[in-house]
Amino acid sequence: MELQKSLQRIILVELLVPLALVLFGSFHGVLQVIFRAGVIRATSFAGIEYYQGLTAHGVINAIVLTAFFAVALGHALISQELKSRLSIFGAGLSMGLMLLGAVMAAAMIYTGQATVLYTFYPPLKAHPIFYVGLVIFIVGSWVPLYMWVPVYLRWRRENPGKKTPLAVVGMFATFIVWQMATLPVAFEVLVQLVPWSLGWTAGVNVVLSRTLFWFFGHPLVYFWLLPIYVMYYTMLPRLAGGKLFSDFAGRFTFMSLILLSCPLGLHHQFADPGISTAWKGIQGVLTMTVVIPSLLTACTIAASLEFAARGRGGTGLFAWWRKLPYFDRENWLFSYLICGLVIFLFGGITGIVNASYNLNNVVHNTAWIPAHFHLTVAGPIFLGILGGSLFLITGLLKKPVVASGMAVAVPYLWMGGTFIFSGGLFLGGLRGEPRRTNLGLTYLNPTSPSYRPDWWISTHVGLVGGLIMGLAILIYFVVLIRSIAASREAAREQEPFTIPLSEPYHDEDIAAVRTFTPWVAAAVLLCVLAYYPPIRDITKSNFKQAPGYKPDSPVAVETIR
Amino acid sequence: MAKGFASDNTRVNTTEKGVFLGATLFIGASLALIAYATWGLGINVPACVPASKGFEQASVTRHEGRNYEIHYVSRMWAFEPSVVRVPTGSTLDLYVVTKDVTHGLQIAGTNVNLMLVPGAIANGRVHFEKPGTYTIVCHEYCGTAHQSMFGRIEVSDQVKEISAEGLPTAESPGKQILEEKGCLACHSVDGSPGVGPTLKGSWGTTTELTDGNTRTMDAAFLREKILHPSKNVVKGYQPLMPELPLTEEEIKQIEEYLKDLK
Repeated sequence: MELQKSLQRIILVELLVPLALVLFGSFHGVLQVIFRAGVIRATSFAGIEYYQGLTAHGVINAIVLTAFFAVALGHALISQELKSRLSIFGAGLSMGLMLLGAVMAAAMIYTGQATVLYTFYPPLKAHPIFYVGLVIFIVGSWVPLYMWVPVYLRWRRENPGKKTPLAVVGMFATFIVWQMATLPVAFEVLVQLVPWSLGWTAGVNVVLSRTLFWFFGHPLVYFWLLPIYVMYYTMLPRLAGGKLFSDFAGRFTFMSLILLSCPLGLHHQFADPGISTAWKGIQGVLTMTVVIPSLLTACTIAASLEFAARGRGGTGLFAWWRKLPYFDRENWLFSYLICGLVIFLFGGITGIVNASYNLNNVVHNTAWIPAHFHLTVAGPIFLGILGGSLFLITGLLKKPVVASGMAVAVPYLWMGGTFIFSGGLFLGGLRGEPRRTNLGLTYLNPTSPSYRPDWWISTHVGLVGGLIMGLAILIYFVVLIRSIAASREAAREQEPFTIPLSEPYHDEDIAAVRTFTPWVAAAVLLCVLAYYPPIRDITKSNFKQAPGYKPDSPVAVETIR
Repeated sequence: MAKGFASDNTRVNTTEKGVFLGATLFIGASLALIAYATWGLGINVPACVPASKGFEQASVTRHEGRNYEIHYVSRMWAFEPSVVRVPTGSTLDLYVVTKDVTHGLQIAGTNVNLMLVPGAIANGRVHFEKPGTYTIVCHEYCGTAHQSMFGRIEVSDQVKEISAEGLPTAESPGKQILEEKGCLACHSVDGSPGVGPTLKGSWGTTTELTDGNTRTMDAAFLREKILHPSKNVVKGYQPLMPELPLTEEEIKQIEEYLKDLK
């Protein structure tokens, strides 16, 4: 069964529009390493201020791109795997709201009325349209889950006793996590920030708003990651020429991330005043439990790759890894996923450092943090989105991937650039170099009283890596645009487009991971247990209501309209 | 094919059980190390200090021996005190508040790493065994001049007693206005460079502007600059100055202060 034509068009828009925005988002990324190294010593370049570009970089690359990709991949996989037509009204509504919200937020960012970074920490105050745009975007991204649930329930009735396809489990997990995570931030924005930015309320309880934000901010990273996990579990083994080692491992990982994604956001606030060390400690322990699905995934994917490699004639305890199709131009998508996986190993290990409670004192808000998350969100996630988008776009348009050699080169170049970039930022972070700072004006400026010559090397290593990453993106867009411009392939026009998925090697049927309900119920319970005590403390304390500030003035303002 | 592959599909296979066990042991070992660091080595994350008016004024206080208590006030875009000098071997207890937005305070090269959140009091302790100059970095984005928000702690064998610069003083009303309105975040009064030109010795001098004109710093120029900050930008500086709602009386007091600031 082929995807409905209108659904195909919606998916194409949801992939192409954010990719076009990523050209801007990545441009701002490249500019940041140039600013940070002091190569450009200015507050702005080409009319865009440093922090304005940083805001755009975060909002576009980390929110708009990732959410659109999750929705697009979800529509394709749910429809294909449940062999069901989806509501075009629902999919169109979701797309329309997300586009509207993204345009509203982008307009405010580019007109300089929302230079508050993607974390929009109050009491920095943005234009109300920025906040409203974010809410509309988030509401639009809620729609797919509620479109898919009735489709899934009908499938369950029509297929009694059958296991839910693994890709469907993964996409539902993605959007269940998203639904749980976005409720508190929607509350923060709608109840706290919008009335305040309109000048209706005088102040905001900032400790509360930070806590609500990070309730969202950490599961956000699992929302980014889960669609990529879906690709790792259901596509990568087949691309490697083998099978998924264990179906249970996939199911357990998805279910356990529903359970564990939310009740651990306080580990972003280890350095915050206003929250007791007890609540920080409890959520610190909960953070560590994510090691279980992560290690299980690492081992399962490695075993699946080993199985594929042995099928290709690989031998030995470790020597089999040489038999995988790293540079196969016909099979170019493999290179995106495998490079992402290699980067992710380091992202995972450094994530354990960040989660380690008191070790956070060393790295909090230093360049170490972006070094870490560029090995996650800019590693497996970004490469998975680039590869997955190219695959879906060319597949739906029945176009060939032109210059597939260049397509294969992109992830390797990106991986090299990311390692160099993050290497520089890790080093700088351990020496106290801050993140989110236009270092070139002061710390990297020999005429400034705060000049830190010892940060020269780290920022310049970061610069080299960032430029390589920028080059990789450019090559990717050359491939993408040339492929879209190519003529359709006659051979592909005949057959319907399907996403090829792996079969399991071990097809265990374990009762505990058969249904969502117990996992969702346990997740809600755990969230309440983990967050009720700190939020009760915060709302009962006497923290003052903070008035708002424009980023360019130390005098409080009512509204920036 | 290989051992550990269970044929029974109703149970988790043995290899996977090994992974679960391994992950659990890893978590256990990590938590044990964290617990040791917390209680054995006494390294903790910042605790919750109840909101209190007692910390709203920047100050330095000496306790017994080389133990000091410093109350920092952070604001867009400076720390009060900006420079602190202490003898080698000092232990400093820091209490830090913010007057406006969220800031951060890290003493680079130490484990002091605090978020400064409006309404709450951040608390940290640092011991300086080695002499040197330690940079205090604001590491949370706090607006346009975030990169200019820093301070210093100078630790030296020569210093016998704590001293500080940049503490609030009961000086002229003009200076107080400059301080309250945040002007001093960008314009120094001691000749040191900043985001904007220093105010020291500026009165009566002639400067070149970005539009090529030259202006002399006098009452008319000061008033014009405060009311229309985006015009008449001094050459070599960015057009960053915000519009501040100052009264004529306040401008007059700033003028009196600047005349005396040689």
